[in-house]
Amino acid sequence: MPESKEFQENACRIKAEDVGLVYHSKHRKNDPNAGSFRALQHVNISVGAGEFLSLVGPSGCGKSTFLYILSGLQRLSEGTAWINGTPITGPALDRGIIMQAYALFPWRTVRKNVEFGLEVKRISKKDRRAIAEQFIELVGLSEFADRYPYELSGGMKQRIAIARALAYDPDVLLMDEPFAAVDEQTRGLLHEELLRIWEKTNKTIIFVTHSIDESIFLADRVAVMTPCPGKIKEILQIDLPRPRTPAIKSSSEFGAYRNRVWQLLQNEGERTEEVITLDGRKHLSTVPQEVSI
Amino acid sequence: MREGKGPHLLLRLYRKTIVIIVLLVLWWILPQFIESMYFPPLGVILAEFRRNIENGELLINLYTSLRVSIIGLAVAEVLGISIGALIGWFKRVDRYLNALFQVMRCTSILALLPLFVLLFGAGELSKIIIIAWATIFPTMINTAQGVRNLEPVLVRSARSMGVRGVGLFLKIILPSASPYILAGFRLSASISLLVLVAAEMLGAAHGLGLMINDASRNFQVTRMYVGMLTIMILGVVLNAALVWLERRLTVWQERAVSA
Ligand SMILES: Nc1ncnc2c1ncn2[C@@H]1O[C@H](COP(=O)(O)OP(=O)(O)OP(=O)(O)O)[C@@H](O)[C@H]1O
Ligand SMILES: [Mg+2]
Repeated sequence: MPESKEFQENACRIKAEDVGLVYHSKHRKNDPNAGSFRALQHVNISVGAGEFLSLVGPSGCGKSTFLYILSGLQRLSEGTAWINGTPITGPALDRGIIMQAYALFPWRTVRKNVEFGLEVKRISKKDRRAIAEQFIELVGLSEFADRYPYELSGGMKQRIAIARALAYDPDVLLMDEPFAAVDEQTRGLLHEELLRIWEKTNKTIIFVTHSIDESIFLADRVAVMTPCPGKIKEILQIDLPRPRTPAIKSSSEFGAYRNRVWQLLQNEGERTEEVITLDGRKHLSTVPQEVSI
Repeated sequence: MREGKGPHLLLRLYRKTIVIIVLLVLWWILPQFIESMYFPPLGVILAEFRRNIENGELLINLYTSLRVSIIGLAVAEVLGISIGALIGWFKRVDRYLNALFQVMRCTSILALLPLFVLLFGAGELSKIIIIAWATIFPTMINTAQGVRNLEPVLVRSARSMGVRGVGLFLKIILPSASPYILAGFRLSASISLLVLVAAEMLGAAHGLGLMINDASRNFQVTRMYVGMLTIMILGVVLNAALVWLERRLTVWQERAVSA
């Protein structure tokens, strides 16, 4: 979709202007990090309507924090964040966030979870049910509609979380490492499913991840974040054809993008390193360093 | 589904009740040989039980006791859940009120009864208040604990969908804490019976406690047992009902051990 790459000002969904955030930790004895901690500084980005943006960076660089600011759950310290041209001052149903941890309400069935945002929107019971049904089907879990979250696998829970966020029809979907806890194979399936849903619903998606491959495979653009303090180092345009299939990961273009992102993360001095976990997955992690506040 | 595993239903019922049945049979037979006035055979007690139902005495006492304890318990639940939620949610409320509640909780309820009688008379009102007093603490403490254990991510998730204030309390805090609240409720309910009977023994117009005390004073041993038996049955039925309710309302919880 090359023509959608030139985002006009009026098609701009999300905009962050010089966003900064300082956390004020409560003073604790024996905690060297007590006091204030700068998590974000000078974050600038604008995301177009219908765009898929990935946010990649090592653990602790402020990815979740940035998403929380956009969702309105976290008030920013500096700068302004906008949605559809108005400053973000609090949470609202024009944005849906899918959390890093499974955030389904355990006392509600799958169906009732998906209906939650619709209840908040005061949509009638009958319509709620119909809409919920539709989105549960969209994520392929119709047979599980009357189950409770504890009866679902991790991947299923995240699919329901996505259905729940989609059901109340937000303009923007904020996804915080939604597939970090599922196996490689399932993750592949979920990627394809997410892209299918994205193309079908035309949402703007900001997708946070640790995984370089994941960020490139899904996105129109990849924003590379670096820590201390968290900022966007560079935004990479991903000109890979759509619809994307797993085969694309072995193409030379993909490899070039992968190297580029990797380099951007590496150039942060000795701060990031690749960690290979026991299950063979690669992760980025910040190396312990002096406290710089 | 759950019945699918484990021994047959009848076998389980047998295991559960056999000891009690044996004791009841012994109670039926043994006193006939001992012939002590303090231990009338179960058959005699049941006959008296029936007489008490027919002449209406048991019902009026049961009705009075139940009404007083239900009203007291209801007051305690409403207040206990609200205050407990506040304590659990706001650290500051907890800090200021904790010591007071500890003092209140640790003061023997029956020691306070004379004061309540002075203030509110010897009628039902003082009993309702004493029951509310005694039963509010388990509910309050449990509710507070339940609210403290609330998953922050669930609150965040709800807030991200625009839920605030009362909505957050009703849609998130209450259901999330409900297993704790229900456990507290069950405890409170059993305490309400306990305290009620004791309070009624100290003076009342009607009630099971009065009935037992009155019978005992007048050496109507059989009638005394009728009162006791009624309270026993009441306690067991109440507990079973509450266990059932708890199960129903917490089906969404993953259980480490299957029922
Ligand atoms: N409530 C808080 N109070 C103080 N510091 C915080 C708070 N939340 C996060 N931080 C700090 O801010 C930094 C950014 O945290 P954040 O959760 O945004 O990182 P992240 O990029 O999402 O990491 P991960 O990939 O591990 O999820 C971290 O160093 C963290 O210690
Ligand atoms: Mg995070």
